[in-house]
Amino acid sequence: MFATLKVQLSLSRPYLTRNELQQAYKNTIPDRRSYMQRKLVIFKFMSDICVQFQFPRKTLETAFYYYQRYYVFNKFETEMCHTVATTALLLSCKQVETFKKINELCIVSFRLRNINNINQDIIENFKKRIFQVELRLLEACCFDYRVNNRIHIDEYIVKFGKHLGFTYELCHLSWVISYDILKTDLLLILPQHTIALAILKVAFELLKLKDWPVNDYEKFKTNNDSINEAYFGVLNYYINAFDSCNLKDHTSSKFPPVSLEVFMQLKANSSPETGLKDFTMKETEEDKYLTTARDFTQRERRYVLSSKFVKEENAIINAKKRKLK
Amino acid sequence: MLKNYQPFNKKKVSRLRTALNSCLKMANNDIDGTVIVSEYTKEKKVGEGTYAVVYLGTKQSTGRKIAIKEIKTSEFKDGLDMSAIREVKYLQEIQHVNVIELVDIFMAYDNLNLVLEFLPTDLEVIIKDKNILFTPADIKSWMLMTLRGVYHCHRNFIMHRDLKPNNLLLSPDGQIKVADFGLARAVPSPHESLTSNVVTRWYRAPELLFGANHYTSAIDIWSVGIIFAELMLRIPYLPGQNDLEQMDVTFRALGTPTDRDWPEVSTFSLYNKLQIYPPPSRDELRKRFIAASENALNFMCNMLTMNPVKRWTAAQCLESEYFKEIPPPSDPSSIKIKS
Ligand SMILES: Nc1ncnc2c1ncn2[C@@H]1O[C@H](COP(=O)(O)OP(=O)(O)OP(=O)(O)O)[C@@H](O)[C@H]1O
Repeated sequence: MFATLKVQLSLSRPYLTRNELQQAYKNTIPDRRSYMQRKLVIFKFMSDICVQFQFPRKTLETAFYYYQRYYVFNKFETEMCHTVATTALLLSCKQVETFKKINELCIVSFRLRNINNINQDIIENFKKRIFQVELRLLEACCFDYRVNNRIHIDEYIVKFGKHLGFTYELCHLSWVISYDILKTDLLLILPQHTIALAILKVAFELLKLKDWPVNDYEKFKTNNDSINEAYFGVLNYYINAFDSCNLKDHTSSKFPPVSLEVFMQLKANSSPETGLKDFTMKETEEDKYLTTARDFTQRERRYVLSSKFVKEENAIINAKKRKLK
Repeated sequence: MLKNYQPFNKKKVSRLRTALNSCLKMANNDIDGTVIVSEYTKEKKVGEGTYAVVYLGTKQSTGRKIAIKEIKTSEFKDGLDMSAIREVKYLQEIQHVNVIELVDIFMAYDNLNLVLEFLPTDLEVIIKDKNILFTPADIKSWMLMTLRGVYHCHRNFIMHRDLKPNNLLLSPDGQIKVADFGLARAVPSPHESLTSNVVTRWYRAPELLFGANHYTSAIDIWSVGIIFAELMLRIPYLPGQNDLEQMDVTFRALGTPTDRDWPEVSTFSLYNKLQIYPPPSRDELRKRFIAASENALNFMCNMLTMNPVKRWTAAQCLESEYFKEIPPPSDPSSIKIKS
């Protein structure tokens, strides 16, 4: 009786710090290596679907946010990840208004995995699973549509680039980098405009330009710590995964030569590495938001965006509680 | 699913009080992911749309009456309906007295529920109910509230795309609430193309009738203009039977646009098939809207300007002389809508 009356109230926290993520992954990702390997395969898979349908970059970006966000709160299982990926794309298409019929998405999703003799039954089954995952995905995001809602990384690159009077080459280079960066955790940690600005900074330095023109990040509605987090996030990605990056394959004469050493040099030039102030792992251990597995058997699972709402409701409940005594 | 959803029952509550009490203690410590008492009850079904069933309910902690929109899950062909997604997405962004409030979102088992403020009636009901009498001052008050809501959407770069009397709901204290954001979308960037298949036919702006694949929030203002006319006439102003007839009805009443006042309008592929009607004279309009003042007619004509670029914006509408002249708009809470 008691159990069925329970309600779960979750406050949306659309971005998490590195330690927060690490804490959450303890519940959901038993084998980090296999998760990371899969992630690259899935990223390629999702990119291929986007190419097939000629989706803009923002569809991929939003979908990959969803894919990664899903595994912050749901257990990672290798067999399910193509389903999660296809669902992430379906939802992203709705979110960024590049709508595609689910049947078309499913068929391409099968074809790209070389699953051939598919019939309507198989598709219907797949769709059923997708519908389930879709709701879980939205729950993992707490139905928070403020993220991924308006302007995306590539669009910010163009807008900021234009505003700062940067060249076409610089923006193009940034655009290529931003594709690589979708593969990183940064999407879960920082909002798009901050990532875009940090990417522009990296590209600026790769082109060996002097005097980075932005010193007041507040004007761009961000701050030093966030920019540094993103900036070092970009450099560390290339230092750790240079062999699998896409940037190295872009050998246009307009692009500067890139190599592992170049990125290591950039990092050395800007050391010490700084970023967002993080919680200690001990603090995150006490954060039930991250440590408790989501319980989907709860009768009412509520999702709210503002802590003000939660506080007000808590106050009302406390007042009632005093009356009950 | 619904069968399992027993309404909260007061006797049960008192029996469970002790249990709840211990539950409340847990709730105090922390905010996130903690356990609080069941919040929403569904008491009575009040309506059903294409993608949702709407219930009257109560928010337990405050006793506030609310509407719960339960999104139908089983029948979806493409998963969660776009309308549901849009509704949540845009209502999360907008908080304004003249826009319906999204109070909360919750999942119950595998159903998505949107908790909205409860709004007992809408303008369509009022217009149709011939027992209800309303005055020019009441109409002015409704137009003012509607435009305030619409202005708030537009300044947040959101187009509603489905304004009509039945989406203008009324609160118990007489406030108009722009509702049903199932078709809303962000104002597009210059190169983005959009579907012109939006807005209920009778309220559709000429650029949509022409099938334009790029348009702006001006389409909403057209709808408001038509609603204004409907409030004065108490019958739909331009009721076309089908899409093609809608063009004919619209242009017969308001004149076929020409390249002179709307450059390049003749390049729309549908334009050649059109009959060319002259715009109505001022006298003709005066006859059509007997009770309307000159300022009221100006106000309407500027919302029903063919060329979307020249059509008034929500801000221009709000500043119009119509709102400054007598009679002043009625106090919303004083408008009697009970027949
Ligand atoms: N906030 C509310 N308060 C009270 N009743 C409401 C509220 N919202 C909707 N309703 C009622 O529920 C009915 C269904 O609403 P809903 O928005 O789902 O569909 P609709 O807009 O009427 O139709 P469709 O979705 O097909 O366009 C409405 O006609 C109205 O009577």
